[in-house]
Amino acid sequence: MEDLRLVNVTKKFDNFIAVDSINLEIKQGEFFSFLGPSGCGKTTLLRMIAGFETPTEGKIFIGDTDISKLPPYKRPVNTIFQNYSLFPHMDIYNNIAFGLKVKKVHKSEIEDRVQQMLKLVKMGDHVNKFPQQLSGGQRQRIAIARALINEPKVLLLDEPLAALDLKLRQHMLIELMNIHDAVGITFLYVTHDQSEALNIADRLAIMNKGSFAQVGLPDDVYERPETIFAAYFVGDTNLIEGRVIKVEEDYATIISQTDSEHEIEIDTTYHRQPNLDDVVTLSLRPEKIAISRKPPKKKDDFNIVEGVIEDILYGGTHTQYIVRVGSHFFRVFQQHKKVYIDELSLDWEEPVYLYWHDTDTHIIFETDKNRVNSENIMKTVRRK
Amino acid sequence: MERFTDNEVAKIEKENRSSWFLTTPFLIWITFFFLIPYLIVIFYSVLTPGVYDIKFVFSLESWSSAFSATYLDSITHSLVMSLLTTIITILIGFPVAYVIANASKKRQNLYLILIIIPFWTNFIIRIFSWKIFLSSQGLLNNLLIYFGLIDEPLTLLRTNGAVLLVMVYVYLPYMILPIYSVLEKFNYSLLEASMDLGANEIKSFFKVTLPLSLEGIFAGSILVFIPALGTYIIPQLVGHQSSAFVGQLITFKVKSIPRNWPLASALSFILLILVAVLLLTGYNYYKNISRSKS
Repeated sequence: MEDLRLVNVTKKFDNFIAVDSINLEIKQGEFFSFLGPSGCGKTTLLRMIAGFETPTEGKIFIGDTDISKLPPYKRPVNTIFQNYSLFPHMDIYNNIAFGLKVKKVHKSEIEDRVQQMLKLVKMGDHVNKFPQQLSGGQRQRIAIARALINEPKVLLLDEPLAALDLKLRQHMLIELMNIHDAVGITFLYVTHDQSEALNIADRLAIMNKGSFAQVGLPDDVYERPETIFAAYFVGDTNLIEGRVIKVEEDYATIISQTDSEHEIEIDTTYHRQPNLDDVVTLSLRPEKIAISRKPPKKKDDFNIVEGVIEDILYGGTHTQYIVRVGSHFFRVFQQHKKVYIDELSLDWEEPVYLYWHDTDTHIIFETDKNRVNSENIMKTVRRK
Repeated sequence: MERFTDNEVAKIEKENRSSWFLTTPFLIWITFFFLIPYLIVIFYSVLTPGVYDIKFVFSLESWSSAFSATYLDSITHSLVMSLLTTIITILIGFPVAYVIANASKKRQNLYLILIIIPFWTNFIIRIFSWKIFLSSQGLLNNLLIYFGLIDEPLTLLRTNGAVLLVMVYVYLPYMILPIYSVLEKFNYSLLEASMDLGANEIKSFFKVTLPLSLEGIFAGSILVFIPALGTYIIPQLVGHQSSAFVGQLITFKVKSIPRNWPLASALSFILLILVAVLLLTGYNYYKNISRSKS
């Protein structure tokens, strides 16, 4: 197998640690994504795999071969650059043929394989044009063809869709998935766009400050974040710090710590039981919370809190409500499935009930030291 | 054919009128300082020389002597020397420009200033310094004798080598600066792309860096070759009489008695045509190898 393995990979720039002892195994043919904010080290990690940076420590393997000391032109990997980096002095044919020409492949074979690639990326009509004559999406396709013609073991994609507009981005995302399925090469996709990563990746790694905050399947990472950063960076969430006051089988009760006046009790079922008196953080996705003037009829298995609407933000597919519960601010999304529902007429300053199912409360065994989330929600509340 | 409405036609005509207005100063300039002088040169070339001045009698004498062996040799010599100068300045100028373009911003400015500083000294004084430096009692010969490398002073001055050396020295900045300006804007991620696709450093240089610097090399070559071809003072000061540049001959015909202004005019005109032909050929060649700029 030609799996890609990163062993203890570290990169330091002077005193700054860009990538901090990363260990990872990516299976052959997998579509893997590094997701993280700018400056988290994801691009540095990619550049180390490509060979443009050498790791300060650690090794990179493809199969059993250690490639960490090889120059870029000897590695069985190819890169799609963020700005495509097509050669402006060569036409499309020569851009795609570049890698094979360097390897002195026979002319007729180059011809065949370029045609094959052009067919794969659906760019057959543009073979004699120059990169400057193509649109962003077309250049993207040429960059893909230019890389894949070399039949790399791993294809590295560095924010390849960042320069495209939304509709084109969605379209190219599907194209990329189709191309991946057609060639069966390992794709390693770096992005700061969570929806891209969630859509496209078989597995993804969330990166923060040079290390992985979580590695897992897209739905695992979203629904069961293991770190506060993972919960906060992917999607929106409500983070509540609390102390465990009761533990039963598959069931725990947690009381909010930060609010001395209003104690919020939250019940949760969870596969990993916390200990009594543990201080943990609860992550509660805004779309899991229902908002209503009336409490739910069936109260079992539901957490119910009362609050006041502080802000309403209309968002097309959903409306976002910022609801104050004691000293907490809850972010709540309500999907617009139907036009005629009572809650559409909810107004500022209105008292409401928020409720959600026990199983939708997720425990993170970590505390939010920087209060990133609560401060972030506070910022979204408009001043009146 | 595109169709325009009356309004659009009027607008375009108005724009054309205003563009005429804007190009007028240039046209006046080029008429008075280029076109008319050259017409005078052509006119003079078909007249008869007098001892001190010119006789207004038609004659093609100057043209037939301009194409005689003496002058053709001189033209060839000028061509070869300026071509060599251009090639040597490219070979030295490109690496220098590359190093400057890859230095830190602060260093870049320092290097550029160092290149420009010699321009503050008078051109002729700089050539005279070379003359002193290279002479038989000059610094270079004395040093070589002092270190026992030679016994007798070498003849450095008044050789083609000396002319070439000083020409390269004088024209090198004109090669470095345009190449630097191209390399400074060079997108180095293209080099990464090239290495990523399997080309090592050397192949990447010849397949990517060099073709994309042609613009600067071409501009630099024009700036070096044209003045080098017509240079007069450098071979006059450090060269040998027997291998004169065409520029020297033209000067000689204008200032020595008996004067021969028609011949000087004919030679000047040949020089102009030569430069124009070489420029156009070079430009076409350059356009062919960098078709991409469309």
